[in-house]
Amino acid sequence: MPLSPERVLDVRDLQVSVGDHLVAVQDVSFQIGRGEAVGLVGESGSGKTLTCRAVLGLLPTTGEIDHGRIVLGDGADAVELTGARRSTWDQVRGVRLGAVFQDPASYLNPSLTVGHQLAEQLRVKAGLSRAAAHRRSVELFTEVGLHEPESVFHQYPHELSGGMLQRVLIAISVSCEPELLIADEATTALDVVIQAEILELLRRLRETHGLSLLLVTHDLAVVAETCERILVMYGGQVVESGPTAEVLGDPQHPYTRALMDVATIGNWERRTLDVIPGQPPAAGERMPGCRFAPRCRYAAAACVAGPVPLVDLETEGRSARCARLGEVLTESALEEVSA
Amino acid sequence: MTAPATEPAPGVPVPGDGAVRADSRARRALPFLRSLASTALVTVTVLFLASVITFALGALSDSNPAAAALGETATQADIDRLNAEFGLDRPLVVQYFSWVGNALGGDLGRSWFTTIPVSDSIRQALPVDLSIAALALVLAILIGGGAGIGAALSNGGIFDRAVTLVCSLLGTLPPFVIGMALIVVFAVKLQALPAGGYVPITVDPLEWLRFAILPGLALSLDVAASIARQLRTSLVGSLRENYAVGAQMRGFGRSRVLFGHVLRNAAGPTLAVIGLAIPLIIGGAVMTEKLFGLPGIAQLALQSAEKGDVPVVLGTLLVTAVIVVAASLVINVLQKALDPLARQGSARRAAR
Amino acid sequence: MSTLRRLWAIPTARFALVVLAGVAFLAVFGSALAPHDPLKQYTDRVLEGPSGDHLLGTDYLGRDVLSRLMAGTRLSVIGAAEAVVIGAVLGVPTGLASAWVGPRLEWLALRISDTLVILPFTVFAIAVAGTLGNGLQQAMFAIGVLISPIFFRVTRAVALGLRTQQYVEAAELMGASQWWTLRTHIWTKVLPNVAVTSAQAAGAALLVVASLSFLGLGVTPPAPTWGGMLASDLGYLTQQTWAPVFPGLLMMATVGSLNLLADAIRDATGAGTSARRRRRTPATSRKERSGAVVS
Repeated sequence: MPLSPERVLDVRDLQVSVGDHLVAVQDVSFQIGRGEAVGLVGESGSGKTLTCRAVLGLLPTTGEIDHGRIVLGDGADAVELTGARRSTWDQVRGVRLGAVFQDPASYLNPSLTVGHQLAEQLRVKAGLSRAAAHRRSVELFTEVGLHEPESVFHQYPHELSGGMLQRVLIAISVSCEPELLIADEATTALDVVIQAEILELLRRLRETHGLSLLLVTHDLAVVAETCERILVMYGGQVVESGPTAEVLGDPQHPYTRALMDVATIGNWERRTLDVIPGQPPAAGERMPGCRFAPRCRYAAAACVAGPVPLVDLETEGRSARCARLGEVLTESALEEVSA
Repeated sequence: MTAPATEPAPGVPVPGDGAVRADSRARRALPFLRSLASTALVTVTVLFLASVITFALGALSDSNPAAAALGETATQADIDRLNAEFGLDRPLVVQYFSWVGNALGGDLGRSWFTTIPVSDSIRQALPVDLSIAALALVLAILIGGGAGIGAALSNGGIFDRAVTLVCSLLGTLPPFVIGMALIVVFAVKLQALPAGGYVPITVDPLEWLRFAILPGLALSLDVAASIARQLRTSLVGSLRENYAVGAQMRGFGRSRVLFGHVLRNAAGPTLAVIGLAIPLIIGGAVMTEKLFGLPGIAQLALQSAEKGDVPVVLGTLLVTAVIVVAASLVINVLQKALDPLARQGSARRAAR
Repeated sequence: MSTLRRLWAIPTARFALVVLAGVAFLAVFGSALAPHDPLKQYTDRVLEGPSGDHLLGTDYLGRDVLSRLMAGTRLSVIGAAEAVVIGAVLGVPTGLASAWVGPRLEWLALRISDTLVILPFTVFAIAVAGTLGNGLQQAMFAIGVLISPIFFRVTRAVALGLRTQQYVEAAELMGASQWWTLRTHIWTKVLPNVAVTSAQAAGAALLVVASLSFLGLGVTPPAPTWGGMLASDLGYLTQQTWAPVFPGLLMMATVGSLNLLADAIRDATGAGTSARRRRRTPATSRKERSGAVVS
């Protein structure tokens, strides 16, 4: 799939550390084109959430961007977000950059009606009048699939279900026509039917609003359904990236492969520890070579000798970070034959 | 408890829409009515108990109108005559109900000395206390609110530590000391404000403010300290909540996040603190009255207490209790207005 | 007593305990050790600053401030202590009982507590003085009664936690009497909470006693008390800055120490937190209970 020429997000060599200079995200680079959906996949502690928080300017107080660049937009509209001041953030967030998270109930003000919160967004950020904001809110609620939008408008967060709240948050996030929507585990806590509906809603919004999407999740199936491109993170690094179909169809990194193996079991974020022996490295843990090596069944001397670079593969837009790129492929293929 | 709302599938019309809505409205109204009824019951009970306690003090007292008015010279015949005149020869239960019954009609009996109706004396003195207490409350909210918000924003900074220190020091001094210090600084040293005296607000509001500002300030500082402390704690907690992050994520500036979103939720516990402070303010008003020579209800009570004029003393205590209860009710209503969960009864809070 | 050792390990607690020990010493031996007669008026030396003869100066009647402070400690402290004891005696047993009596009595107890909370200290004390007579005993009774709801509520919170847990314990102990369980719990859970509340209430009571002295209630002049000295000397602040400073400082140090001590006891014993946390999660204790029954 050819990349759209217009870039919405450009992240380069991002390094984030937390606490006492413990590096938690290392050399992460990726781009998102207009209308494109990119999936960021990894287990807890892989650095995917920190990466997305860095893009949103919501790092925890102990978190810090050591180096790297985050640029939103392209050409004349480009805004450098690394080290941006609060005033810059206030112009970008909610207007050009939207976000939805897991546990939508907690992200809404419990003592204001959901309609008030959407209308406030429209009044403050889009400059609509009170009446116009109300009208537009009802339209948006309808668009995100809320029934009886007029009565939902006057309800408080505690009166709505999780799925409805996520729709409300999505409506708020897209209300000012942002270029990019970041969804951080936005469907994780929802049951399967509602999850599918929300994903369908996101797909529809991408079409109608020309929205780009950064989907942060631990669920490979969600990415496979929704995203054109995928980035697999492990131990704070991107270990494999490329077009979703090709990466999942023919994984080049043993970790991606292991993920796919456990994905068939179901909720692998919980079970991955059983299936892939060992534990992911902690933030700041120093490892000379491949960070996955201690858990990798194909690990060899070359893997721990020195830093493993992210190598571009022959296929357009694909790259992987493995010291035994060619060999692993053959080994696992041989295994499959013998099995 | 089940979730209050269900997710209808998109595109599928919900059958019997109207019925569902009416039902949900009824469900919402019921806990509200129930909480209203329980508040009313508690209020009535508290007022009843306050009247019993007040009456009991009078019943336990060994002073009587004859001894109070005539002193040593009172003969047994005098005592009996005056006791009969004030109805003190009736059984206690009868006395209580007639006292409460009259009180409900605004009649608190007559002074044993002057035979002036107690309610008249109180009606004359009360506006002084109420206006000063109201001023003190406003000042306390302004000072305490400002200090609390500032401290929360500077969380851990110099201002935060200064506020914490001042609050703890204020709490270790009796309130009249602050008042005296204010008199010395503003009235004696700077000669900027009068050290005592009073002009009713109805006569000249500006002149009233000149006389009331020092007593009001003296009265407010204690309460301001508790407001500041509580507000700081709840604000620091609320600023860490996801909804504050969410508001920030929507591109709202610091002040909109703070005043439009966080403060609203932090206000609940602060209102509770204000509710608890109301007896403190009313009680403190007694102190400031004495300090600034204000012709308020406390002067009335103190003078009557010295003479053993029981009806006046009981009347002031009862009226004070009623005022505090009324003020607490207002706070209660405000709290419910701020919190949609409380407004709809506590059942929903449990569901969360 | 490991609790005491833990308490002593907290620096602010050490400071507070030293200050309070000093105050207690003054309360016992203050009048005996006072260099001058606290009531004697050196009429030629009115409102003097600190000097060799009068280490802390003299007041508006020429009385020795140091001697009045030392002699006045007993009345000031005893007054507050008496109020706290009355409050605890009224509040603790009722608080414990309220968790076990039926819902109606419980509701009534709560309403009585509500009623006492709304009565302002000073107004109530005036009413008590006006009806039952003006004196230290009456004033302390008034303060004690109004303090009792604090004890009532704190003890009740602990007792409610106990009530939900008691069955677990009873099942585990298999035969150990409920009374024994209750007694240990009172010792380990109720006592620290009562200690914290007592320290706080004592500080508050000291301030109220001082305020009442200012109103002329409770201890009557010329008997010296800290509050009385503060009230009378503050009137001469412009002529003599020193006189009110010393009773003020002594009072701040004592009340501040009591507050520090309360915080320290809370830190050392976990009082307050445990009771509240347990009350907030009835579901957990229910689970614990059923678990214990199954095993």
